[in-house]
Amino acid sequence: MLGILSSIGFLDDPADIFIFLGRLHPLVVHLPIGFLFLAALAQLASTKPKFQAITPFISYVWALGALSAFFAVVFGYFLSLSGDYEPDTLFWHKWMGVGVLLFSIACYYITKKTTKPFLYTKWFFTGLVTVSVFITGHLGGNLTHGSTYLLEYAPNTIRGLAGMPPKVEPRKKVTELDSADVFLDLISPMLDSKCTSCHNAGKKKGKLKLTTYNEILKGGEGGEVVIPGDALNSELFKRISLPEDHDDFMPSEGKRPLTDNEVKLIEWWIKVGAPPDGYFTQLNPEKEVIAMAENFFGLDRENQLYGRTVVAPDKVVVDSLRSRGFVLNRLMKDNYFMGANFSLSERKLELSDVELLVQLKEQLIWLDISNSNVQDAHLEKIGQLENLVRLDVSGNAITDAGLNHLVGLKNLESLNLFDTDISDGALIAIPKLKALQKVYLWQTKISPEGISKLRKEHSDLKIVSERE
Amino acid sequence: MSKYHNFMQRPLSRREMLGICKGGFGTLAFASLFGGLPLVGCDRPKKGLAASSDLYLGPHYLPKAKNVIFLYMDGGVSQVDSFDPKPRLAKENGEDPRKKFKVDNTQFDNVGKILKSPWDFKQYGECGMPVSELFPHIATCVDDLALIRSMTSNFPEHTNANYFLHTGSGIQGRPSMGSWMTYGLGSENKNIPGYVVLDGGLIPPGGLDNFKNGFLPASYQASVLRAGAEPVANIRPQESIQNLQEQKLGFIKQLDQNLIGKMGEVDAVESAISNYELAYKMQSSIPELTEFGAESEATKKLYGLDSDDPHTKGYASQCLLARRLVERGVRFIELTCPNVGADRWDQHSNLKQGHERNAHAVDQPIAGLLKDLKSRGLLEETLVVWTGEFGRTPFAQGSNGRDHNPSAFSMWMAGAGIKGGTIFGKTDDYGYRVIENEVTIHDLHATIMHLLGLNHEQLTFRFGGRDMRLTDVHGHVIKDILA
Repeated sequence: MLGILSSIGFLDDPADIFIFLGRLHPLVVHLPIGFLFLAALAQLASTKPKFQAITPFISYVWALGALSAFFAVVFGYFLSLSGDYEPDTLFWHKWMGVGVLLFSIACYYITKKTTKPFLYTKWFFTGLVTVSVFITGHLGGNLTHGSTYLLEYAPNTIRGLAGMPPKVEPRKKVTELDSADVFLDLISPMLDSKCTSCHNAGKKKGKLKLTTYNEILKGGEGGEVVIPGDALNSELFKRISLPEDHDDFMPSEGKRPLTDNEVKLIEWWIKVGAPPDGYFTQLNPEKEVIAMAENFFGLDRENQLYGRTVVAPDKVVVDSLRSRGFVLNRLMKDNYFMGANFSLSERKLELSDVELLVQLKEQLIWLDISNSNVQDAHLEKIGQLENLVRLDVSGNAITDAGLNHLVGLKNLESLNLFDTDISDGALIAIPKLKALQKVYLWQTKISPEGISKLRKEHSDLKIVSERE
Repeated sequence: MSKYHNFMQRPLSRREMLGICKGGFGTLAFASLFGGLPLVGCDRPKKGLAASSDLYLGPHYLPKAKNVIFLYMDGGVSQVDSFDPKPRLAKENGEDPRKKFKVDNTQFDNVGKILKSPWDFKQYGECGMPVSELFPHIATCVDDLALIRSMTSNFPEHTNANYFLHTGSGIQGRPSMGSWMTYGLGSENKNIPGYVVLDGGLIPPGGLDNFKNGFLPASYQASVLRAGAEPVANIRPQESIQNLQEQKLGFIKQLDQNLIGKMGEVDAVESAISNYELAYKMQSSIPELTEFGAESEATKKLYGLDSDDPHTKGYASQCLLARRLVERGVRFIELTCPNVGADRWDQHSNLKQGHERNAHAVDQPIAGLLKDLKSRGLLEETLVVWTGEFGRTPFAQGSNGRDHNPSAFSMWMAGAGIKGGTIFGKTDDYGYRVIENEVTIHDLHATIMHLLGLNHEQLTFRFGGRDMRLTDVHGHVIKDILA
């Protein structure tokens, strides 16, 4: 007998079996809510002649509600033994729950009796049950999700009525690594997405809160969890870097774990002294740490340029360029980056066109001025369009002197010089374009030796110099 | 109510009147909030668009491709004879397929023996992609191709399969994918239509409905350019007096605008006006387009314009035209197949002769097109798509043909945003069914749209009471073939 009891953990404190049953509380607790509301509703409906037929059944619904409330209360009590809950809220939740149970039993007896009770007793208790189910349920929600959960996304007017401060403006999405704060943009969002659903002010599992910097450094029931400068002895890092099937692994209970990158970034953060603020890049992170951070912010996928938000272009400039034969296209829905194509205009490019283009230098990322009688002098202005990613100047009589104007285009990924008078001077200009990935050099005056030199020295660069 | 484009719209019905009054001022505010700058790059009919849920037209996210060249292999190329080698067919040549695997009913249900490929395969390029002897020229471009061997179609018969491939629905009447793309992105060239079909001689089964605008405004339908001296009928003005034509057109426009004044904005009339204007501009743009004088001899030779085979020559000029259309900013260009005198790629008999003739006509021109586009930097912004409407059976129909097989076929894409040298998907040992990574026609459409910067779930048009899409409720972007 004792063996059976011990095998199901009955002798532990609190017994495992209690915790097990306790965790059924969230499952069972919704039954009384449904039954009791149904009973109250049925009772209300039965006053109408149309629904009078349901009157004999109402007491059974109350009984079901009371029975399920009983189990909810018992299991809820077991769950509360495991601790971890905010004591004040728990006190009220517990006794309101007991209240619901008693009131619903009262309702059952009142409706069961064939003799008519005092006129308003029935309605008094029905109202009492309804109101107390509401309050108990709300308190229960606060216990599991934290007291700010319900109104977190409510409009500020509603938050105001509830006596809450206006919503905290979320930090702006990091679009440039240089502007990222090491704690607010990097560490805190990681903890928020993976840890604080259990380690918050309401729940604080293991008496640990991970919601603010001070709370993190304060630690939990086992003492400090972050020892600045010493990642390997910091409990927080230990727990997240254990094998996933280890008992002490965090996040527990099969919740989504941190990614390898996130774990390494937290390790790095603790190592550099767990600073509470400061720019990430000013902490001199190593190359691989930068790469991990870029990956975390989603900055590694494409040119960093696209993360920037640009303003809508001046309508007057756009209209005037269009009237000069430019085709102007917006290139994405949530930003004003644009592409311009002059090659279909049947006009020769003029300096005044280029000067207008410069007014779109924020927005312009693609430019096609092929076969448009472009001169070297035009390229001086084109070289100011610093956001250009694709540039097509093919089919124009431009030379190395013109190309030299373009070397400041730090975002340029593709440059089409097909059918131009570019020659070996390009071998100096092209490597200066740091972001360049593709260059088209067929039918130019660059020597074959120049091409093979370029290929050899810049093996990442895709060079198209002939038609196979 | 009156969304059926076949019927003339009434100016305003009682219900529409109520609807407009109800939402009027709210919509105004909404439009001024989001309207701001109409930054689409082309003149497009506003009719039908303002009314639909779309307030923004243009790419949803940064596109990889600006244009699409769709090389349609009419009739269904045999996958096991082109891009999906199956050695087991040679081993079991002549055996009864029904003893080897479950054979579905086919179009003619004249199931013969397992038939090995009459052509050998060799590996090409750095990626080592195997290609059969049918395509020696395309084989030299494999490092730029992403091959999908796991295509499936929902229809085993040409007409429905063609509608499915072209419009995303097996039933006649939906807008063609070219219409969707030009509707979503507009055309860059005011003088040439945004969606052009270069008719090589064979209009696919299902006819011109493969290229129609369906419920989209009429200006998004394909313009079909024929091969030969006069690509568009009556392209040269017939009037002997200089500006007589302009005066006539001016008069017609005036009449049309009077009509609009009376009836309100009617898509049919507005499209007619814009079509007249476009046709007028095409009188000069089309002859200039089809004049190859400025092309070098080397270029003409590359495409095969000097070929002894008249069909190669014909398709070569279509491919060269396609490049010239891309240079002129045309959004969607489809090439149909030439009539080689042995039926389309639909060899129910005489597989060897028929496939060889068809392949000979298209192989060199296609390879020439890919190389020419690449060297000019145009392949970076152009997506080239090569596919039939379904595949063919690994067993014979009769003695020496192959029947339709919608359960597996091969297609490839090249160019903008495509990871060259990729092979995606797998068929069984016979090339009969897909066993890994099935790609549906909807997935293909979603992927093409994705490369053009369009989210296939967001490009919609309200018709018949709901927001219609090219991919309906299906489609996933095939990320594995993207660079």
